[in-house]
Amino acid sequence: MKIGIPRAFLYYRYSSLWETFLETLNVDYVVSRETDKAILKQGTIRAIDEACLSSKVYLGHVDALLGKCDAVMVPRIANFGKGNILCTKFSALYDIVDNTFRDNGLQLVGYNMDPIKSGGELAAFLDFGKKLGKKKPESFYAYTLAKQAERIDRQETLRQHEESLRKPGIKLLIVGHCYNIHDKYIGRPVLDYLATQGVTPVLADDADRRKALESAAALTETMPWIFNREQMGAIEMYRDKVDGIVLLSTFPCGPDSLANETVIRRVKDTPILNLLLDGQEGNAGVETRLESFIDIIRFRREAAYGEA
Amino acid sequence: MNKAYLGIDIGSISTKGVIIDRNNKILASGYLWTEGNPVQAVKRLLVSLKDQLDHSQYQIVGVGTTGSARKLIGVITDAVEVKNEITAHAIGTTSQYPQVRTIFEIGGQDSKIILVENGIVVDYAMNTLCAAGTGSFLSSQAARLGVAVEDFGPIALTSKHPTPIAARCTVFAESDLVHKAQIGHSKEDIIAGLCNAVVTNYLNNVGKGKRIAAPIVFQGGVSKNVGVKKAFEAATGHQVIVDANGHLTGALGVAIMVKRKGVERPFSFELAQEDFTTRGRECSGCANNCEVICVYRGNKLIDAWGNKCEKGAVKVG
Repeated sequence: MKIGIPRAFLYYRYSSLWETFLETLNVDYVVSRETDKAILKQGTIRAIDEACLSSKVYLGHVDALLGKCDAVMVPRIANFGKGNILCTKFSALYDIVDNTFRDNGLQLVGYNMDPIKSGGELAAFLDFGKKLGKKKPESFYAYTLAKQAERIDRQETLRQHEESLRKPGIKLLIVGHCYNIHDKYIGRPVLDYLATQGVTPVLADDADRRKALESAAALTETMPWIFNREQMGAIEMYRDKVDGIVLLSTFPCGPDSLANETVIRRVKDTPILNLLLDGQEGNAGVETRLESFIDIIRFRREAAYGEA
Repeated sequence: MNKAYLGIDIGSISTKGVIIDRNNKILASGYLWTEGNPVQAVKRLLVSLKDQLDHSQYQIVGVGTTGSARKLIGVITDAVEVKNEITAHAIGTTSQYPQVRTIFEIGGQDSKIILVENGIVVDYAMNTLCAAGTGSFLSSQAARLGVAVEDFGPIALTSKHPTPIAARCTVFAESDLVHKAQIGHSKEDIIAGLCNAVVTNYLNNVGKGKRIAAPIVFQGGVSKNVGVKKAFEAATGHQVIVDANGHLTGALGVAIMVKRKGVERPFSFELAQEDFTTRGRECSGCANNCEVICVYRGNKLIDAWGNKCEKGAVKVG
């Protein structure tokens, strides 16, 4: 059996966990290609028009896997335990995909992560292994290796992250979900543009997650979504170490609309750019906003240190 | 021979140009409609500027472009500086009003607020996706009411009881406006209400959470509307300055940036006689099907852009 993994949403958080788990269990898999215009177009056709851009991209990736695998992997991740919920999209995703592609005879596999109602991640992965026809000890071993791979991956990310914080020149904290920032069609053009301007992007998503969650309390006591709390914690950790903050969201993200408002109201001493992406053709608007934001930061630095 | 600097601001609706000397004095200026053809508009602009300039005294040593067609016109004029309109407006305004603290700008499709401290831009905000409350909104409502948008301001000033109009969203504002007209509100009250709605919407969107300090300078096409200016003054409690030459601020700003940059490149008004064309072609390298724009002088390709990757790159030279 060959599993298809959509290169979207939480793939960007769990790629090493998922891939190592499947590889250790000798399960063949394929990851959909990087997002392009055709994927977004297919996803837009598949999705209801009120869905967020990122979920349209996700459905486009599922579409791109049709005929390329025997089953598509769609996990249901509802929460990380009490008080740590995710956007509803992640707990609804399995049903959304199942329903959207019901006429395509699409097989789905996945794990159900819902610690509030059932077990934690290990239990979910043991169950996932069972669905893939693997015995419990095999799945346990694969999960252990996968967690190890995830940890090593994360350490490397953290090392690069700390390196970026030490770089001279203008640094901007990029606050956004991993699946938006790393997507080739959505967030990567923003990072590429910053590179052409000689600006170092520091990704909030790369911060140490445990420390970030602890720091978040200074900015919010009630933010329900854990991913947004991680990002807000990173803002609290780095607001004095960067020249500005870019809030990068896709339209119309519910959690981000609340989180961004909170950040704009509570972080007053650092310039903030609220960048909303909607898959528009042409990036002139985005470049105008980024360029002027960088100009303003340069003016501030010139005024503060007399440097150009 | 004295040095002069040319700044061109090519917006979606209008094209503006100024020539300044070393002391930022305006030697020549032009203002005309873009009419969907930025290249043609700039040629007409250059003809008009050429007639105004004393060529025995001044020689243009550098060009700067701003506005939404800045890249295209920057290539054609071999510009020294190609800058976004926010920065250009900030620099243009602070050169004329060094004390300015807040700049309101409402254009055809976007609106922004720029906060200045000691002549330095410290913060700004721009409307996100929605064009509610910008010039195009006012034009479409004017058409609905059968009034020229230029007459909006004077009509609004005659109103004694401006009609409250929901300003949160263009769609709601429009249906609210229709409703208010049907139940008998007078035209001048509705127009004054629309001007108030533009201001409320602006202050609640781009102006949200910003500390608005005086002096305030109001720019962009909508600043020509005295009704909106008055509504801004009522809402902020401060006098709002609208410069008669406010439409030239972006062009002035980018001309000043050219001067500051100190890089010089030859420029000739003969450019207006040359033949520039742009051709779009769809790259078939991958599923992105990027629209690549090629710019030609005569038959010679001088620049190309629009490709997301190397596959769509067009060799220039």
